[in-house]
Amino acid sequence: MPTPLELVKKKRAEAVSRIIGKGYLSTKRVYVGMATCEIAAGSKDVMEVFQKAVSRGLTDVYLSQKGCAGRCNLEPTVEVIEAGKSPVKYGKVDKDRAQQIIERHLKNGEVIKEWVID
Amino acid sequence: MNATSYRIILCDGTSCINKGSRKLADVLNEQLARHGLTERVTIGLSGCLGMCEKGPILVVNPGYTIYGNVTENDIPQIVEEHLVNGDPIARLVIQEDHLYNRFFRVFGDAKFFGKQMRITLRNCGIIDPESIDDYLSLRGYEALAKAITDMTPEQVIAEVEKSGLRGRGGAGFPTGRKWKLTAAEKATPKYVICNADEGDPGAFMDRSAIEGDPHTIVEGMAIGGYAIGAQTGIVYIRAEYPLAIKRIRRAIEDARSHGLLGKNILGSNFSFDIEIRLGAGAFVCGEETALIHSIEGARGMPRPRPPYPAAVGLFSQPTLINNVETWANIPVILLDGANWFRTVGTETSKGTKVFALAGKVVNTGLIEVPMGTTLREIIYDVGGGIPFGKRFKSVQTGGPSGGCLPEQYLDTPIDYESLARAGSIMGSGGMIVIDEDSCMVDVARFFLEFTQDESCGKCTPCREGTKRMLEILTRITEGKGRPGDIENLERLGGMIKKSALCGLGQSAPNPVLSTIKNFREEYEEHIHQKRCRAKACKSLVNYEITDKCVGCGACRRACPVSAISGSPKSRHALDQNKCIRCGMCFTTCKFEAIAKV
Repeated sequence: MPTPLELVKKKRAEAVSRIIGKGYLSTKRVYVGMATCEIAAGSKDVMEVFQKAVSRGLTDVYLSQKGCAGRCNLEPTVEVIEAGKSPVKYGKVDKDRAQQIIERHLKNGEVIKEWVID
Repeated sequence: MNATSYRIILCDGTSCINKGSRKLADVLNEQLARHGLTERVTIGLSGCLGMCEKGPILVVNPGYTIYGNVTENDIPQIVEEHLVNGDPIARLVIQEDHLYNRFFRVFGDAKFFGKQMRITLRNCGIIDPESIDDYLSLRGYEALAKAITDMTPEQVIAEVEKSGLRGRGGAGFPTGRKWKLTAAEKATPKYVICNADEGDPGAFMDRSAIEGDPHTIVEGMAIGGYAIGAQTGIVYIRAEYPLAIKRIRRAIEDARSHGLLGKNILGSNFSFDIEIRLGAGAFVCGEETALIHSIEGARGMPRPRPPYPAAVGLFSQPTLINNVETWANIPVILLDGANWFRTVGTETSKGTKVFALAGKVVNTGLIEVPMGTTLREIIYDVGGGIPFGKRFKSVQTGGPSGGCLPEQYLDTPIDYESLARAGSIMGSGGMIVIDEDSCMVDVARFFLEFTQDESCGKCTPCREGTKRMLEILTRITEGKGRPGDIENLERLGGMIKKSALCGLGQSAPNPVLSTIKNFREEYEEHIHQKRCRAKACKSLVNYEITDKCVGCGACRRACPVSAISGSPKSRHALDQNKCIRCGMCFTTCKFEAIAKV
């Protein structure tokens, strides 16, 4: 009989493999803020833009929602995380910026500096 | 040649500074210049990273390589091998699997987050809150399993007690002692409650915590249930937080389906489940006895204590009630250990505190800083200072129960005792920055209006006393103040503090008393000279049209009482007898030709 601790560690391993199964190891991970505050600032529209792009064949991207990181005045926020590179944090993302992040950053690897939070 | 751009973070916590971290920065700059790396490598400072025993700490991003015990002699090697050649130096790397620093991996290089330390909000903003897999992958529910597997309830309580954690709802009662008292009660069943009835105006710490990482609360509560011998937990959350409710509900269901809640958790003898109760948004229901009445189906009103809920709580049974933020600390204390947790914070206040930073500050937001961080660091380093070049006037901590502190208190370190000594309170974490454009009498009136409106009416001092205080304050802001008003406010405030039934009533006069103490001259000006220096009290402001007027007529058309006259292209005039001081002309004018005097 495994101990509760062993059980939880097993659950963790299973969870990790499920997350990987969903594409976590893709080249780029994209997180869209979806707390009440982010949604009020318009993040649902932003999320839709990314979801549409993925459903229309944007590959090698792992898309996820996230809670609020605390940057109220710069919301909606989107992070693009790539292995071996510093995470890029975008602020005040609207539909148009989301589309440009897809075209320029996700497809062409360009970090759009003027929207980056530092 | 490796062309990666690096961001180096130097820990700028007190312990690392003492061990020479600032000297490292000098050497580093010099080495970077020598290798021509100043373009590609930037250096940032962070607040305490919580690895003091291995300091000075230097972090290289990307890669989140943590170097510990770094000396000046190590710097050339770090620059040459890691920054030039891209090879991390194994002998200096420290492996840390602390729960808290994961947030830092994503956000650590941004200035806003650098001085912060995220323990309770560690997962907020980096995981999908609706995915139990995401939470499990970051050692989720390991603390609960560890407690059930390796620790007796007494040991869990001892660990929480040793950590020095104090209640984050505002009062700061030692959490471990509360657990011990509840555990010592013989009566069963016992209950565990999470107080998520966040009511302070402008505060959203609990909402963000639940929306960003609901499983942490579930896990914390289950550990609490194990420690005190309870099988039922209740999350009391206000109905105005639909998304938070949805996410905590989802978290409870997912935990249940994974065998992490319910009967025989993880195959053990421990059973525990959580229900949700919605509050209707009454401020007083954040007070624990009123909250308990509300869950029982009675009217949400406080009762005298003792007996405390630890002995006589929900349905008169022993009840452990903690705030959202308190619960969120529990898994970290068990996994990273009380000894580590104690290293963060000050002598009397351990760990971190979450604040909702709002008001006249550049970066408004949700922040979490180690106890002992000064108000100045929060407002200027994290908050980025006051916008539009205005002057700082005051900072209000603790929401409607707190006080307003002027500039001379800016170097007060945040902890329960220091804030109380300065004349404010920690409270649940509201922090409002006030600049020179705000009138302190009006600010006090605003907060009192809130507490007066939310007074449940059970005890006379709060029901009648705050009403009378509000009348006096309103009168003062309308220019009808009388000599003796200040003394009356002080006398009433002192009485309410001593005689109100619950903590909310007892603290209601705080904004008024603290502004009288720190900004008495503003009260006096209002009363005796009928003058508001911030020009915020409408009745005390007169509008005048200056010679900048070009005669465009915009103000004349905007004025609802036709107090402005003048022909096109000539300077207009304002009839003070007709003016109702609505300010429409002031906001309409494009030529800054309307002056407040």
